[in-house]
Amino acid sequence: MSLKLELLTPELSLLIFALLVILLDLGIKQKKVLAGVSILGLLVSGGFVLTLWGRESASAFNGMFLVDPFALFFKLLFLIAAGLVILASQDYVSKFARFQGEYYALILISAIGMMLLATTGELISIYIALELSSISLYILTGFLKDPKSSEAGLKYLLLGAVASATLLYGMALVFGLTGKTRLTEIAQAIQTIPLTTLLDSPALLLGIILLACGFGFKIACVPFQMWVPDVYEGAPTPITAYLSVASKAAGFAVIARFFYTTFGVPDWLSLNWGILFASLSAITMTLGNVIAIAQTNIKRMLGYSSIAQAGYLMVGLAAVGVASMADTLGRSGLLFFLASYTLTNLGAFIAIIAISNKIDSDLIDDYTGMGSRAPLLALGLTLCLISLIGLPPTAGLIAKIYIFNAGVHYGLLWLVVIGVINSCISAYYYLGVVKVMWLGAPVSEEKVPSSWALRIVLALTCLGVLVLGIIPGKFVQIAETAVRIFTS
Amino acid sequence: MSVSLEHYLILSALLFCIGLYGALSRRNTIVILMSIEIMLNAVNVALVAFSRYIVPLVLTGQVFALFVMVVAAAEVAVGLAIIIALYRSRETVDVEQADLMKG
Amino acid sequence: MTVLDIVFWLLAVISIGAALAVVFLQNIFRAALFLVLCFFAVAGLFITLQADFLAVAQVLIYVGAISILIILAIMLTREMWRGNPGGRFQLPAFIIALGLFGVMVWAVINTSWQISAELPLVPTTAAIGSRLFGEGGLLLPLEIAAVLLLAAILGAIVLVREK
Repeated sequence: MSLKLELLTPELSLLIFALLVILLDLGIKQKKVLAGVSILGLLVSGGFVLTLWGRESASAFNGMFLVDPFALFFKLLFLIAAGLVILASQDYVSKFARFQGEYYALILISAIGMMLLATTGELISIYIALELSSISLYILTGFLKDPKSSEAGLKYLLLGAVASATLLYGMALVFGLTGKTRLTEIAQAIQTIPLTTLLDSPALLLGIILLACGFGFKIACVPFQMWVPDVYEGAPTPITAYLSVASKAAGFAVIARFFYTTFGVPDWLSLNWGILFASLSAITMTLGNVIAIAQTNIKRMLGYSSIAQAGYLMVGLAAVGVASMADTLGRSGLLFFLASYTLTNLGAFIAIIAISNKIDSDLIDDYTGMGSRAPLLALGLTLCLISLIGLPPTAGLIAKIYIFNAGVHYGLLWLVVIGVINSCISAYYYLGVVKVMWLGAPVSEEKVPSSWALRIVLALTCLGVLVLGIIPGKFVQIAETAVRIFTS
Repeated sequence: MSVSLEHYLILSALLFCIGLYGALSRRNTIVILMSIEIMLNAVNVALVAFSRYIVPLVLTGQVFALFVMVVAAAEVAVGLAIIIALYRSRETVDVEQADLMKG
Repeated sequence: MTVLDIVFWLLAVISIGAALAVVFLQNIFRAALFLVLCFFAVAGLFITLQADFLAVAQVLIYVGAISILIILAIMLTREMWRGNPGGRFQLPAFIIALGLFGVMVWAVINTSWQISAELPLVPTTAAIGSRLFGEGGLLLPLEIAAVLLLAAILGAIVLVREK
């Protein structure tokens, strides 16, 4: 049996380090060491991903484990997100008393799940990897064990379980129709079934809809976004950051691979789900932006903002669906936007972790005067908020240009217009925070302390946002290489 | 009339929808968890029925159903742990009491 | 009507009835017992589908572990249970569930399934074993499932232990 274990080194190494963290937790008193071991594990795993980068696409486990640039791009993204979250948690972990080892281990394990999600091309593995990352996240959401955190964890679990049961039924229908579980084999089977319109095979249509519902929960698109505000507010803030970035990226990765590979080729099929995603995109971004305006809690505001950002991302999905095989812009635009969004959102949350830790409040009004109390943190937060709006010289602008360009190119002008209007609306609440920070008089003159780990990650993310915004060329190239597997 | 694939699938659909109704409409969190288990059982019935009628020699559907059982067990364990943790801090298992966060 | 058909209808009625009891009974302890009955009925359905290993696994995992856990949780939080009232979303949930059922039945009936004429493989245990571990097997999900169980165990311990 061709195991080809050298292709699994990223996941295996990370797993070994996760187990190491759990075991070391038994003996070591200095909990900072555990954070160091986790970061080491992420670096080792990242190193293995980079060694696999240059090679041509390969597969292990008889085609179930696909190592191609698309998968490697996302693996790197998840590793970076996990690393930044672990570093940013240093101010926060004292709240977890003796469970710090499990905290780090669960973050690493959920990263493993997401990496597997991006790389696997088979139904059962997709489901198991999805549940692996989700269950770890349910636990992490409820980690503080105070009423708010437990309630957030419970809501996330119950709604997530319903969504994955729905997704599973969709998978069962697709399996029943084709008799296969590998995505490539399913794609072949769909093409050989003599169908002329979607209505000839309603089970396929129903399966696709149920799959879209299940995955839609993961990426928090309307009408499955109800869980976001409460879960984001109750979870420990580093985990909120991780959820908003990594879990969403994982969702988009699996949707992209699933829909592009399996349902991409019959043009009428691809057009149908393209239109579906386009409509959902319009509703999602509008709803997210409009409700965000009314928010007074900054974590809930960023929660609705991330719903809206998912809406922008879905423009890329819709463009691919509508254009089918001819598209090149939509796919790579999606990846670039995800990279930019990851850095931006993490940066914003990192600043919030430090500030909220000090003032012990998540209300936007309590951020008054942060410009003078914590100038560097406020500057970082401002930069990230500007990137979320999509203004120069940040990554957010390039990402939006790229993805809206794809939309225009393939006949979705109406959607892009809605997107641009939404970006203007969003400026209102993002700039509201900026205004409060720099123009208000501070309540007290105490400085906001932050650990050097947090300052480093904030600096790194802001640097990333600026670099992607000013010299995006190289990264656009990487994104385009990554999606070449779908068009070849 | 002889029992065929459609019968099993309709039964599976009925169980799934009963479970869905329970998960969305009940207030007791343990009942919601039980409804989710019914939904997962319904999917298993569909998978095994597909395995029997569409690819009887390959048994992929049955293996799929086995993995679903594993995941269901893990989810129940974590779900009940959270419910107990919530009960300890709030002394209630009623979802409509769980409204600390609004807005 | 063969024996198999009669058994199917019997098990179908039992499982539907038990499922309805779980959702609507006011006494949640009895609801949990009806859940166990539902699991047994599903195990019986697996046997009618010639899935012998899966039927035993169903009884072992669902009845033997999951039901026990659920009843344990009901007992631990027993003091505060207020029965099984309906929430705010009863009507929308009913409409969604009914609508989905209608769509599912229509989709299932109107699709031409490629039903195979071959007889199923019996007994299944060895075949499932070689499907999991053998050539061209599903080893990857198995290994991921192992990590999943580890994460669930970790989580359960962390969440329930006192600080």
